[in-house]
Amino acid sequence: MPQLSNETDIRLPLSFIIFSIVALIASQVILLFNGHIVIEGNFRTPAILSSAHLLILGWALMVTMGAMYQLVPVAFLTPIWNEKFGFAQFWVTAIGFGGFGITLSFSPTLSIFTGSLAVIGILLFLFQMFMTMKKQAKKNILTLFVGSALICLLITITLGILLIINLGMGISNLDHLVVLKSHILLGVAGWFTFLIFGFSYKMIPMFSLSHGFSMKPAKWIFIVYAIGLIVTIFSFITEKNLFLQVGMSLLFAGFALFSYHITTIIKLRLKKKLDRPFIFSLIAIGFGLVVHLAGMILSILPSYYELFGVLIFLYIILWIACSILGYLYKIIPFLWWTHKYSKLIGKRDVPTLKQMIDEKMAIPIYTGLVGGCLVVILSIATGYLLIFSIGQSFVVASTFFFSYSIIKVLFK
Amino acid sequence: MELKDKILDQLKQVIDPELNINVVDLGLIYGIEIKENNNVYIEMTLTTPGCPLHDSITSGVKHSVAYLEEVNEVEVLMVWHPAWSPERMSEDAKKQLSGY
Repeated sequence: MPQLSNETDIRLPLSFIIFSIVALIASQVILLFNGHIVIEGNFRTPAILSSAHLLILGWALMVTMGAMYQLVPVAFLTPIWNEKFGFAQFWVTAIGFGGFGITLSFSPTLSIFTGSLAVIGILLFLFQMFMTMKKQAKKNILTLFVGSALICLLITITLGILLIINLGMGISNLDHLVVLKSHILLGVAGWFTFLIFGFSYKMIPMFSLSHGFSMKPAKWIFIVYAIGLIVTIFSFITEKNLFLQVGMSLLFAGFALFSYHITTIIKLRLKKKLDRPFIFSLIAIGFGLVVHLAGMILSILPSYYELFGVLIFLYIILWIACSILGYLYKIIPFLWWTHKYSKLIGKRDVPTLKQMIDEKMAIPIYTGLVGGCLVVILSIATGYLLIFSIGQSFVVASTFFFSYSIIKVLFK
Repeated sequence: MELKDKILDQLKQVIDPELNINVVDLGLIYGIEIKENNNVYIEMTLTTPGCPLHDSITSGVKHSVAYLEEVNEVEVLMVWHPAWSPERMSEDAKKQLSGY
């Protein structure tokens, strides 16, 4: 077997991750100062749209891109297609996402230009990943999950372009709400969930040192969840509640199956004491299961459909953000360790990955984040601005401490 | 001490930074062959294919063995067959992972 070096230049994933930290803080600070809009449940306002896109694009998508530049070569055993192209993609995407997040709050016309740049950035990323994955010698279940996630991302941004053009110039016969709902569903449940599912199958056995488990359920998880997505989109087009109920039930069934499968993998672990941040990623799966269950229940209560907005917020924070934050606590020390100590291993004593980051800080950070989000939900239910400010302050403080602990790694 | 034992001792200095266990106790070393002119050929694996530490551990193994004065050249070959299994670990490694 040829001995190829698959490692990516650390500056590439790190650039994405550092940008994402700034966007995360910005998104949460904007939310903190717009509490009065949030408690009214009026989410489609410029400030909230700006915060949501900074969170989803600026933070979650940027950090995922960075993590993929690091993980795809090692998980797929193939180097990144073109690193220089990757750096160009970073700058285009960073300017696009940052600009889009800012211009959305005051100028829909300007956001067409910044949005276009953001879209070009995502397309460049998709091209890079397609070219990289094409070289993978032996396709596996991870290829199916990650490949499908990338396709969902492509459809999401295509729908996003339609939404922006429709807002700026208007497209005749375009049902804005159907496109918007599909855009959100494929963005959060298609792209992020398929991606987290896929990489969880790589990272969970690796971090827990699990062996001897079956991967057969993974194929069924993919099929059930993918059909759930299709049926849910069909319900948006037909406006039939029955399809929404079937779609939500399938999404819940797929997620429940995934949760069960991960439980069986964890039970077979050799590493009995798991790292705290990693436990948090596992707890996020539990949160995701509860949110999917709530989605299924809500689908049979049409008079409460406006609560889907809250559920999407919980889905993003408790499932997507918590999963990513948990894994980041493992990925960032690894990146820096590789940069600083990889060439010294075998020559002199080097620190362990655990010694690279303060794990004790993980518990208050994650508790503050989850607790803060639940208080924010309570504030929307009760309509009290003070409760919102308290909850969101906890979220902002958690993101600050998270960023601090990440930056601290870079000085080890 | 024979050269093979010295090499094994050296390899025990190569620690998997995620598990904090050396590559010998983890059972990652499949074979050590000493050829002509003390050229060393090491066949090894990782606990899972696609481990992010692939390159780091490979170069760590190479450097640690090359450090021995008697050794001329070192070649490390990463193999995935037979796949690593927990049975390959030493009792110490198993205890460490169990938390005892």
